[in-house]
Amino acid sequence: MKRPDRLSIGGLACLLVLVVFALGSLAGAGGDPDAIVGPRLQPPGPGWWLGTDNLGRSMVPRVMEGVGTTLLLSSLAVLVTAAVSATFGIIAGYRGGYLNELVMRLVEVLYSFPAIVLAILVAAVLGPGQVAASASIVLVTIPLMTRLVRAAAVAVSQRDYVTSAVISGARLPRVLGRHVLPNVAGTIAVQGTYALSVGIAVEGGLSFLGFGVQPPQASLGVLIQQGGTYMIAAPWLILGPGVVLVAAILSINVVGDGLRDQLEPRETRSLT
Amino acid sequence: MRPIRLACGVAAALLATACAATGTTTQPSTGPQAEAAPGYLAVADDALPPGGTLNAQVHIDSGAATGYDPQLADVATTWQLLSLSYETLVTVGPDFGIEPLLAEKWETPSPTEYVFHLREDVSFSNGRKMTADDVVGSFERLLASESVWRGQLGPVRSVTKDGDHTVKVTLKEPYTPFLAALANVPAAVLPMKEINDRSVDPATTLLGTGPYVVEDHRQDVSWTFKRNEKYWAKGKPAADTLNITIAPEEAARIAALQNGSAALATLGNVDSAGMLAGARDVQVVTQATTDLYYLMLNTKAPNSKFADPKVRQAITIALDQQQIADIALGGKGKPSAVTPAGLPGACDPAALPSASKNADEAKKLLAEAGAENLTFTLSIYSTQPAPAVAQVIQQNLQQAGITVKIEQMDEASWSGKVYGKAPADFDAALSWFAGYADPGMVTKWWNPEEAGFNVGFMTPDKELNALIDAAGKEPAGAAREKALAAVCARADTDAQMIPLVTRPATVAYRSDALSPSLYSTEGYGNVLRLVADARVKKTR
Repeated sequence: MKRPDRLSIGGLACLLVLVVFALGSLAGAGGDPDAIVGPRLQPPGPGWWLGTDNLGRSMVPRVMEGVGTTLLLSSLAVLVTAAVSATFGIIAGYRGGYLNELVMRLVEVLYSFPAIVLAILVAAVLGPGQVAASASIVLVTIPLMTRLVRAAAVAVSQRDYVTSAVISGARLPRVLGRHVLPNVAGTIAVQGTYALSVGIAVEGGLSFLGFGVQPPQASLGVLIQQGGTYMIAAPWLILGPGVVLVAAILSINVVGDGLRDQLEPRETRSLT
Repeated sequence: MRPIRLACGVAAALLATACAATGTTTQPSTGPQAEAAPGYLAVADDALPPGGTLNAQVHIDSGAATGYDPQLADVATTWQLLSLSYETLVTVGPDFGIEPLLAEKWETPSPTEYVFHLREDVSFSNGRKMTADDVVGSFERLLASESVWRGQLGPVRSVTKDGDHTVKVTLKEPYTPFLAALANVPAAVLPMKEINDRSVDPATTLLGTGPYVVEDHRQDVSWTFKRNEKYWAKGKPAADTLNITIAPEEAARIAALQNGSAALATLGNVDSAGMLAGARDVQVVTQATTDLYYLMLNTKAPNSKFADPKVRQAITIALDQQQIADIALGGKGKPSAVTPAGLPGACDPAALPSASKNADEAKKLLAEAGAENLTFTLSIYSTQPAPAVAQVIQQNLQQAGITVKIEQMDEASWSGKVYGKAPADFDAALSWFAGYADPGMVTKWWNPEEAGFNVGFMTPDKELNALIDAAGKEPAGAAREKALAAVCARADTDAQMIPLVTRPATVAYRSDALSPSLYSTEGYGNVLRLVADARVKKTR
């Protein structure tokens, strides 16, 4: 296994800092994100290092809460995506036939919707809130991950060790769980990081449109939506969440690249 | 490395933007809005030629459920749109004075008699002359209807005509808000001949005496009004065409103002003036209104959390109206009792029973009611500044150990949840009332048996209802102020609907495209009240 490059390590460090921020918010560090602490729309200064919002709340704890909300929502949603995509992708790739056709056509239907349109549709059905945001992320990220897992599973299914396991009488769950899944796990992990960044972007977009988390809870999308409204009168409102959102998505993508280089070296990246 | 450079660039740009603004502080503007003339924020320039098309944008359409029938219209946003085609006997002038409209004058021979002398040159938009029969018929139709406004007219005994242009209204007992109640759209004069012969259905057709006639309406999209060529007031309306676009998103309305596709727009964000500060040729003004936000506590839900008056009183005590006005409304609202702050004779909110108590007393009341860990859901609509008001309420009540969960939805869903069924199943909700031009009018909504719309969540309080009726009988003066103070105190103790703060109305217009007239004050939620005076400079 080759050494991780510095960029990946930097991305991982940045991601860890954001996770510490999120955990710190849960522990109450930075203060109560909903507390009115000063005059409204104050620029950064002592007592409110990222300024105050239109309700006189310090932006520091709100950005920390926003990081936590967004990361938590996106991570949970991506875990669900990984579980669903792994299950259906592996079965479709291994069994082929009508099952493969059915899964792939369903995935293509989901894929045919633009991500944000699909997310708005889900929010309209479920009503605005965290559940809708999570469900949207799942539906938006499932198609690509399922396709990739299925493609990897097709390649793995033709390997000799899988054929040997079948000939030796291994039952289907054992073949899939012991021989196929471990060999597509790298694809799932790498794709999971991309799905996480897509999830953050979808959450941000949904909350920006008012379909995501509800007030007073902060998420990066909510904060950017509010900051966008006050872009001229109080530009500091978009500074903190904007920088953090860029950092989060960038870090996750960089870590994903590093993970891919580790788990799927370039010379073995071919699917067939 | 390209993503890194891109991210650094974005971060640097954001940092530079923030630094550029550091040192500037956006403080609430609490001072009075500068007036163009006494009682006016803007006065249309009569020297400009009439004609042209006025493009305006508002955030919400009229309610489709009630159709176009002005007598059944029950929300201010609908009154505003219908007021372009319908007119009343009297209207409201600057500073809430009652002025002639379809009645050119009136007499009050006794406290229970009103004699209206109608203008002789008024026609409906179909060309038929308005007569006393239309006025009498409109009164009778309204009094026989299920209209929410029926109770506002007071104890009307009879409405009779004396010739074609004189109408006499006799009341059973004195009722001071009578003229102010006549100044709203539900009391408009309808074409009764056409309604009676069924050639016109007011639910589907707008046929009034007002300055505009409807050419096209697409629900939740737009209205197109053309000038009423039969309009009685010479030189009005000034604009030939009035296009009103329904743009729920505030950002869309602001963008329309900035790019010139709208010449006038209503705005909800109290910081709109700051946000449009750099926009060339855009003027933002804020009307002081008598409209008031109020908190509804549902006492009729099964297992209501607010059945015990002590719980409701604790909430009233814990609310900090001044903070709501300063923070949520940027200093542009005022704490208010049931009688809207700003109206002559209104109660002083600082004199209410709850005003002299603190959070500890609220906690004590909650403990006595066995509701120490009270948690409830506050249903709000997403139109600003309601979410901001709700979040300050949440912070206020947290001081008394009360946990509030905010449930935000669009206005139609909110309306269905709050008014849709009886008993209603929400915990608490937030909305606003138009405050009108008389301090006694809005108090009538605290009597669910007369108001009707709140019967699903409010239990009638006999003592409060008697006090409201008593205040209505008192003529303006010290005795009425005392009677209204008693209403305010009792409503404060009953606390099923808790008045909070007055609601500012922000209007923006393009000074290069429009010369509008706007009152400094407004009581019926009608920003378009003087739109017939507006002169169009240019239309994009």
